[in-house]
Amino acid sequence: MSSKQDDLKETNTEARFEFKKEENSAFKSEKGLTEETVRVISEDKDEPEWMLERRLRALEQFQEMPMPTDWPGQPDLSEVDVDEIIPYIRPDVDVRAGVDDWTELPDEIKDTFDKLGIPEAEKNALSGVGAQYESEVVYQNMQERWEEKGVIFCNMDEAVQEHEEIVREHFMTKCVPPSDNKFAALHGAIWSGGSFVYVPENTTVDMPVQAYFRMNSEGMGQFEHTLIIAEESSEVHYIEGCSAPKYSAFNLHSGGVEVFVGEDAHVQYSTVQNWSKNTYNLNTKRAIAEKGGRMEWISGSMGSKATMLYPSTILKGRGASDNHITIAFAGEGQNIDTGAKVYHNAPETKSTVESKSISKDGGRTNYRGLIHIADGAENSSTAVECDALMFDNESTSDTMPYMEINESKVDVAHEATVGKIGDEDIFYLQSRGLDDDDAKQMIVSGFIEPITEELPIEYAVELNRLVELEMEGSLG
Amino acid sequence: MSTQAIESLSEDTVRRIADERDEPEWLLETRLNALSALETAELPDVIQTPGRRWTDLEALDFESLVDPLNQSDATERSAGDDEVVVLPFTEAFDEYGDVIEANFGSVLDPEHNYLTALSVALFTTGTFVYVPEGVDVEDVTVRAEMNSRSLFSQTLVVAEESSSVTILESIESGDGEVDGDRYFSNLVEITAGENANVQFGSLQNLDDDSYTYSLKRADVGVYGTVDWIESNFGSKLTRSDVESELNGDGAESQIVGTFFGTDDQHFDINARVWHQAEHTTADLVTRGVLDDVARSVYEGVQDVGNDAWNTSSYQRENTLMLSDDAEADASPKLIIHNHDTEASHSATVGQVDAEDLFYLESRTIDSHTARNMLVEGFFVPVLEEIAVDEFRDDVEDLVFERLQ
Repeated sequence: MSSKQDDLKETNTEARFEFKKEENSAFKSEKGLTEETVRVISEDKDEPEWMLERRLRALEQFQEMPMPTDWPGQPDLSEVDVDEIIPYIRPDVDVRAGVDDWTELPDEIKDTFDKLGIPEAEKNALSGVGAQYESEVVYQNMQERWEEKGVIFCNMDEAVQEHEEIVREHFMTKCVPPSDNKFAALHGAIWSGGSFVYVPENTTVDMPVQAYFRMNSEGMGQFEHTLIIAEESSEVHYIEGCSAPKYSAFNLHSGGVEVFVGEDAHVQYSTVQNWSKNTYNLNTKRAIAEKGGRMEWISGSMGSKATMLYPSTILKGRGASDNHITIAFAGEGQNIDTGAKVYHNAPETKSTVESKSISKDGGRTNYRGLIHIADGAENSSTAVECDALMFDNESTSDTMPYMEINESKVDVAHEATVGKIGDEDIFYLQSRGLDDDDAKQMIVSGFIEPITEELPIEYAVELNRLVELEMEGSLG
Repeated sequence: MSTQAIESLSEDTVRRIADERDEPEWLLETRLNALSALETAELPDVIQTPGRRWTDLEALDFESLVDPLNQSDATERSAGDDEVVVLPFTEAFDEYGDVIEANFGSVLDPEHNYLTALSVALFTTGTFVYVPEGVDVEDVTVRAEMNSRSLFSQTLVVAEESSSVTILESIESGDGEVDGDRYFSNLVEITAGENANVQFGSLQNLDDDSYTYSLKRADVGVYGTVDWIESNFGSKLTRSDVESELNGDGAESQIVGTFFGTDDQHFDINARVWHQAEHTTADLVTRGVLDDVARSVYEGVQDVGNDAWNTSSYQRENTLMLSDDAEADASPKLIIHNHDTEASHSATVGQVDAEDLFYLESRTIDSHTARNMLVEGFFVPVLEEIAVDEFRDDVEDLVFERLQ
């Protein structure tokens, strides 16, 4: 084993994700999903009547909709039996809305986030942090200077109580209705936790706000909801991180994200997902951008057994724009089916999609994307670029873009390439004294660089380290 | 989805067609099997995205479109050389029965889908092309006119080792008056042996009351090459699939497509290639123009199998929109199971470049002529791939006609 690998072993990155904590909960729902479950969750949260009604309606829709099974090449979801999932676990924490001081948390939870490096990052580079453990947010804090300007960053359950009107208007109504897909409906019925971000007009939050989601218990489902509202000419960068230790039973993560980008506002949403490899990651994320608004999705999908995630943007106002940057890394037993959806519904709208995927050791990556340009969305343009890198012959790399163009005054381009790591490149690096493993890692780092350079430095480092870890597994 | 049962169809219908043509028993069996497959077969897959079905084949009223016992066509076949066999099946059974039986349905399963089964059960025209080992011919042409409500055509090309052939087929509507909608179904299968080289050009220019279904598939052997040129100009609705299976090491295929839609024409164009052996190469190039309220749907698939080491696979699709009411959907897909692959694809949709137009106008060319020149120029990269002058001229004429 090379010295570089020893170095890697000594870093605590792997340990930071893989450790388990004893389950210690104050309230844990029964397995399975019934009207009773939904009522119990809603009651435990002391929710207003309208939210319970929405949950029950979503439950009905969930029960009516079939499982998606007929998408070409899609991950196998036959193992996903909602009746085997524990939908709701409230950790044993005194303050329901989350404490604002790490030291107030029970030791094992604090220790979890310490190992994940969250408090450290908060000190250095973030405007605010939320941390969710199982189904509830346990920590929530934001720098005072933002609070003074009217920026709200709180957990979603608190928002339902404290900012009822605005939540009622935006929560799973016009952006992601539960009827959107089966897992959005499931999410609508049993959602818990997540973040609410509100940025008032003309306010620029210049350091990112971050939420970290951690599943600790075996067989649970996490269904956090994130609602971001950026008013006219405001700007915010939201970062989401996810991880869970691996168990033999499957876990399900089915989050919902709704982003409202106001006129000339700018929202960046970054995710680095590193769920354990028994997790099904089936999310619905969508943004609506008004006139001149700009939405950016930056996603790194490293973990999970199966991911089906297609962040989408509806460009509703003239001149709105969208940027998607995604990287997917599928190793042994992983099926990462991800992509982007953009609806150009107004003139002069622009979108770009840049997708990079790496598959190795029998993993499968797929770019599945949809670009729709509506009639009347004249002078719109879109450019989609997908690059895939394959390591071996057991792996699969698919690209399935769909383009629907109902307008002639447009500029539409899609490009994709698939390649292998060049022997010549490796040879060159080896001739400079690097060993085979290091050379491959270096080439992969170069391949994903366009993505990492969009991330704040801490995240870029994290992503690189995750990639190195993934690479390392195959080389030893 | 269940497909419609066509009441006028029965075993008796199929037996009558086979009897009239004095066909061998095995073919009757094949037809009857295809007929019974209709009960469970599905219509060809059509892309569906949320809220949008790209082509609606279920809306076709096969009960009124299919009139199996009154099929009529006028077909001229020319071999250009005695070394190659170019015959209707009925005239080929005596001498080449064994070759036909060995190859018929071997590349294209008659029960592949509802429309192929229907076509095999009912076909009354088509051509058998047999190119013996080492033979090299350039001018095989098959020009057909459709003179009935429905016409089912079946073509089999067998190109033996180290043979080379260029085939040009065309279909248009004849003078025979038929009121209402018509249906043309065209199945083509090619088996190309070791080091064989086949270029198959197809030109469809049926009247705009016609619906066309066409599926063409080739099995390409070791060092073999099959190049397709698929040109669609006519029909109200066209569903066209051109497919190559690269089954031999070093096999190659090029699929070139062109279409030009005007009025409310709908083109559903599909090009697919399966890389199943080592060192195979594929190049998919499609260019189409849409005017008025025409609509195009394109799916391209490059599927690289597990054993397809050292694959090169390229795909390009470009659509030019001349009208604001036209619509173009495209889905170029890559499915890669072998990492020793170089693959790329691209698709674009746009309109005539404003700068190019301005340049020509500044040279005193009026805007209508300038636009037409640019559209003709748009097709040049595709026209260049056509080896037969006659075919290239035909395509150019049809483009020109539509630009007036």
